[in-house]
Amino acid sequence: MQAAVLRGTQNGYDLVLKQSASLDQILVDLKALLENLKVDPQALAASKISLDVLTEDRILTAEEKSRIEQMVAQYPRFEIHKIAANVMTIADAIQLRERENVHLLSKVIRNGQEVVMKGDVLFLGTIHEGGKLRTTGNIFSMGDVAGILQAGYPDDESKLIMGNLQTAQQVRIAEQFDIIEPETVTDSQQTVAYVNDLHVLSYGKLAQLKKINPKLYNQIGGI
Amino acid sequence: MGKAIVITSGKGGVGKTTTSANIGTALALMGKRVCLMDLDIGLRNLDVVLGLDNRIIYDIVDVAEGRAKLPQALVKDKRFDDKLYLLPAAQNTDKTALMPEQVKEIVDELKPEYDYVLIDCPAGIEQGFINAVSGADAAIVVTTPEISAVRDADRVVGLLEQHPLTEAPRLLINRIRRNMMQDGSMMDIDEITHHLGIELLGIIFDDDAVITTSNQGEPVVMQTDNPAGQGYRNVARRLEGETVPLMKIEEQEDTGFWHRVSSWFHRG
Repeated sequence: MQAAVLRGTQNGYDLVLKQSASLDQILVDLKALLENLKVDPQALAASKISLDVLTEDRILTAEEKSRIEQMVAQYPRFEIHKIAANVMTIADAIQLRERENVHLLSKVIRNGQEVVMKGDVLFLGTIHEGGKLRTTGNIFSMGDVAGILQAGYPDDESKLIMGNLQTAQQVRIAEQFDIIEPETVTDSQQTVAYVNDLHVLSYGKLAQLKKINPKLYNQIGGI
Repeated sequence: MGKAIVITSGKGGVGKTTTSANIGTALALMGKRVCLMDLDIGLRNLDVVLGLDNRIIYDIVDVAEGRAKLPQALVKDKRFDDKLYLLPAAQNTDKTALMPEQVKEIVDELKPEYDYVLIDCPAGIEQGFINAVSGADAAIVVTTPEISAVRDADRVVGLLEQHPLTEAPRLLINRIRRNMMQDGSMMDIDEITHHLGIELLGIIFDDDAVITTSNQGEPVVMQTDNPAGQGYRNVARRLEGETVPLMKIEEQEDTGFWHRVSSWFHRG
């Protein structure tokens, strides 16, 4: 059985590296495959061929990846578009879960304290003046906030902050920030802070969420 | 085995030293053996407030560095026979002269001998604070009804929560002006307590006598009829586990003879 198989798909070519074969075997077969194609007159018709390398249930190390890349680089007709596997490491999976989940946070963040989170946060605690909650995702606040909220840290302007923001000191999304003035933000649990097309932090109502951020709106099941 | 309590605030000038001296004295008056530790190194004044400044021979840095034995450095307050002692701070060095382990060692050496070891913490949250907190079992956070003091108290409570002591910190609100609190121009006691989210240990009214008595080196608790002294005595009783109601903010109606006479004239 071939350890390296070329497959045509609707989107182009997949180069499947069999998981049951050793990497050395794969490299041997891959070389044979590429040599074959080099001389195949039919294949000459096509111009440059971009390959999606699929490694099945095997995760290649950086060094292994570079060996395959070097091999393919010897044949100017081929280039590697991406190398993908069906599996991921547990560390990556944990990171993914961190990023995708909504985290519940119910604590008192006092003056001078900074709580750093990853992903979306549903905040149920209290932030005192001078306290700060920072996350990479969205913040949904149901708590008392008298400090600083920062979503989309460090540079994701698509994130939102929802909840009653009137008593907060500052709201920050990615690199944009706003010092809360009581006139600009109403005393409402329905406030949404977002960064608009002009990269300015502004405020809307929950009812306008569809317009403000269609992606999140769809994700949470809005129609 | 006694209990070591650190008296801290974050902000300076809210009355940590006065509180230490008065609670210590109140506990000594109740018959407890108390040792006061001054950790405000470089700017000591617990000794002055207690009127013991002329009796200092050795200080805490001498003890920590082995130049003196602990009992040699302790200054006895003669007014309370064998009840009240002071371990003075050093004056000619700075806060970095002590390490947290050294302070803990000294506190651990004092605890079996005394019912209470009260540690007077310096202002700020740097080395001096870390030193003062390291040996303590409990903390009293002193604040005044001012926003800046409450903010700093909040910061300190946060730090104490990150490195928890055996007991949760308790709050003491100092310098309460009855008239201002009554007419709402000062932060409310409930407001402060609720904001900080820790148990209220006591409230102390602002009183001129606190200043005059500490100038004389005699803590205000020793005056039986003074409201500030009463507040400190209540705090001491609560530390001992008694249930003592908070003092009323409302000033009591003066019902003396002359008041009644003068009220006749006001009536019309």
